[in-house]
Amino acid sequence: MAASAGSKIRNAKLVLLGDVGAGKSSLVLRFVKGQFVEFQESTIGAAFFSQTLAVNDETVKFEIWDTAGQERYHSLAPMYYRGAAAAIVVYDISNQASFTRAKKWVQELQAQGNQNTVVALAGNKADLLEAREVQIEEAKTYAQENGLFFMETSAKTATNVNDIFYEIAKRLLQGQAAQNPQAAGMVLSQRPNERVVSAASCCSS
Amino acid sequence: MFGIQPRDVSDDDFNPRRRRWSLWTTPPASMPTTSHTSTPRKGHANTYHMSVKFEDLCGFMVEGNVDDVNVLNEVRERIREQGRVWWALEASKGANWYLQPRISSNGGQGVISVTSLKLSVLTNTVTLRRLIRKGVPPALRPKVWLSVSGAAKKRSTVPETYYDELIRATEGKTTPATRQIDHDLPRTFPCHPWLNSEEGQASLRRVLVGYSFRDSEVGYCQGLNYVAALLLLVMKTEEDAFWMLAVLLENVLVSDCYTDTLSGCHVEQRVFKDLLAKKCPRIAAHLEAMGFDVSLVATEWFLCLFSKTLPSETTLRVWDVLFNEGAKVLFHVALAIFKMREDDLLRIQHIGDVIDVLQTTAHHLYEPDELLTFAFDKIGSMTTNTITKERKRHETVVMAELDQRTRRLGSLKMDA
Ligand SMILES: Nc1nc2c(ncn2[C@@H]2O[C@H](COP(=O)(O)OP(=O)(O)OP(=O)(O)O)[C@@H](O)[C@H]2O)c(=O)[nH]1
Ligand SMILES: [Mg+2]
Repeated sequence: MAASAGSKIRNAKLVLLGDVGAGKSSLVLRFVKGQFVEFQESTIGAAFFSQTLAVNDETVKFEIWDTAGQERYHSLAPMYYRGAAAAIVVYDISNQASFTRAKKWVQELQAQGNQNTVVALAGNKADLLEAREVQIEEAKTYAQENGLFFMETSAKTATNVNDIFYEIAKRLLQGQAAQNPQAAGMVLSQRPNERVVSAASCCSS
Repeated sequence: MFGIQPRDVSDDDFNPRRRRWSLWTTPPASMPTTSHTSTPRKGHANTYHMSVKFEDLCGFMVEGNVDDVNVLNEVRERIREQGRVWWALEASKGANWYLQPRISSNGGQGVISVTSLKLSVLTNTVTLRRLIRKGVPPALRPKVWLSVSGAAKKRSTVPETYYDELIRATEGKTTPATRQIDHDLPRTFPCHPWLNSEEGQASLRRVLVGYSFRDSEVGYCQGLNYVAALLLLVMKTEEDAFWMLAVLLENVLVSDCYTDTLSGCHVEQRVFKDLLAKKCPRIAAHLEAMGFDVSLVATEWFLCLFSKTLPSETTLRVWDVLFNEGAKVLFHVALAIFKMREDDLLRIQHIGDVIDVLQTTAHHLYEPDELLTFAFDKIGSMTTNTITKERKRHETVVMAELDQRTRRLGSLKMDA
């Protein structure tokens, strides 16, 4: 899909963080390709994807870094979240330990990341209601206290997957409008139109 | 020609697993099992872009274009020719000539002292090195790898029952490593029928769990699942795969690549960045100006030893050389992937496109010789000495940085 002439395309680096097996790769796969696989290969280092989203008359092109969840990969994470416009911290609603881990990620982002990074909290595997360990209220309260926006998602059933990315895109565009991007540490980069259109058309199919 | 072959160079010989593991069937790659969505029309331009699913030389179900299938068939033919070269050498030099002592470029294992250095040994070392760069025939890989890597030597230092006892000792035990391994088993190359089977996963589990008990500092690091899986496919027995994994982590690669902070991996990445600046200065400068950190893509290459990046036979060709010549081979190959696409990379202005180019290039490198020619002829030589020095220099910095980071994160109080 090439954006129509005149519309703006903004690039936004987005990083997914979260415990091993929380469903980061599955969320990305659902968002980028509309697919779900029962056995998603574990991510090593990180995987890169791009996808564009139209919000009103503007287009956001997400450059997505899907990181590896195993604890020892932690030391690689800064390379991926550095300069990110947005982050999705993912936990698995059927796994309390993954929620604890998510909180650590939020804390690290708050301490090390860009102040203007839009952070979303995703309680994934929302389809596993019977196995639920993390109550929705608990996560909601935590999100409110920490200025995150929160959604329960399911990569399997596609519930809220596009929505969470859409909400991020909206917030990025709002943030962009509200402040001078240079002063804000450049969360969104605007590029000359024709270059971005061609980039978008080759990566978003 | 065929007269001197000590064994039959048939397809079966190159897919010996067929005999051991009945689950694997190997239709030739020339028979794509699925064709693409719209009706294919005659003509090269159309067929080229047609996406097909096919089984590659190691039995992975992969997706590619018709051109990939054609290349793969040429490669298959070349493997046969290469096999004949190896058999001919066995006939003239004696079976197992390559198992003789030799001058090792791999440090440590199998090195002979200068006084006992004989001309025949020198010749063999040179011949073997050249031969291995052209590829070890799949049927000979287990034997050749065990020998040149030093794994056979390593195994010979412990009682024969070592592996069985190790596995017995792990039975019924649950550790953080075993939990993570169990989580990853069904997620390790599910596109390979045997690895996706119960038998395959049980084998892989034993190798990984066994190793996690052998070295508790490494325990289990994600990434090793892919490496061990491919080793199993090549070595055919669990025990041989286990020893290859051991020699790889303990002797071939730099230390601490897979331990708690992956410090060895961080060091290699920095050395790689320096090498890129030296060997491909224009690419390095261009990427630097774009703010592109090559580790973003190269980390996975190094941790999985290209097994998640390159087509399987190409990966194994890289491993042939890796086991014979050591860890610097990874730099050669990584540099080659960049170098191969120098012109395109220099034109690109966007980070996402850099990654696309590199990934697409790597995924379609069905022609191993193309990659290896770049890696060794076009990149030029790098002495192990220089690389060792570079590693030392970076190690100090990396350790200090990781340490500082750990302390900083430790000071963030958790409100649990
Ligand atoms: N039921 C259910 N299963 C899911 C969902 N999302 C992911 N999974 C499964 O959970 C497992 C792990 O998913 P991944 O997407 O690989 O998790 P990850 O966070 O990327 O894991 P790492 O790459 O190892 O850090 C896979 O087997 C998925 O099929 C979901 O929404 N519902
Ligand atoms: Mg993942």
